[in-house]
Amino acid sequence: MAKKAKTRIINVRLLSMAMTGYFYTFTRPRTALPMSMIKYDPIIRRRVLFLEQKRKGNK
Amino acid sequence: MAAAVKSQVQLALGLPARLRTFLARYPPASILPTGTTPETYKTAYQEETPNPFLPTKHPVTGRLHDPKYSLRRQAELVKLAREHGVEELLPFTPKGTEVRLRKRVELGLRVKGTGVGQKVKGHKHERQLGIKMDKRRQAMLDMPDLIREWKKVGKRNWSKFPK
Repeated sequence: MAKKAKTRIINVRLLSMAMTGYFYTFTRPRTALPMSMIKYDPIIRRRVLFLEQKRKGNK
Repeated sequence: MAAAVKSQVQLALGLPARLRTFLARYPPASILPTGTTPETYKTAYQEETPNPFLPTKHPVTGRLHDPKYSLRRQAELVKLAREHGVEELLPFTPKGTEVRLRKRVELGLRVKGTGVGQKVKGHKHERQLGIKMDKRRQAMLDMPDLIREWKKVGKRNWSKFPK
């Protein structure tokens, strides 16, 4: 049986680098570069760096 | 002398009726008339129960009888006396300030964890709160450097991503 085709668009999680556990989710094309951006973290109430979480396995 | 007695009488009249009645029935040694001792001068009430605040043993049957004044009434009397500054005129009572303070020191607040050397375990998130906050604080201290580095490297070339 043929393998199920991978979706072109994936959901990614951008994790706060302030170690609060806060995250934003975005969608991006699978082939694009991993995302990173400065956004607001409501837990410490500041704008901090958010980096994309590494995805597990072949997901 | 007479003036001193008069002022004392005035003071006594300033006390609430309840306290005055009690002190008339159970006068302490310090306010007895001059020339009398607690041995020679006893009211009928004192003959019956020297300290109306404590339980007494019946001389014949040997059974304990309840105090003449219930703990509630004792506490009320102590409070009244304390307000008027004459607590030392009352006989010994477990509701007195001295005993209360001693017990407070002995037992603490009776709330778990407030005594000397006591600790409560707490929930897991409470136990780990300190470590979590330290991590966050350190991360925030490092944040300006991290952002500077990220801006320098550029988001296209950035390779350090969290797990």
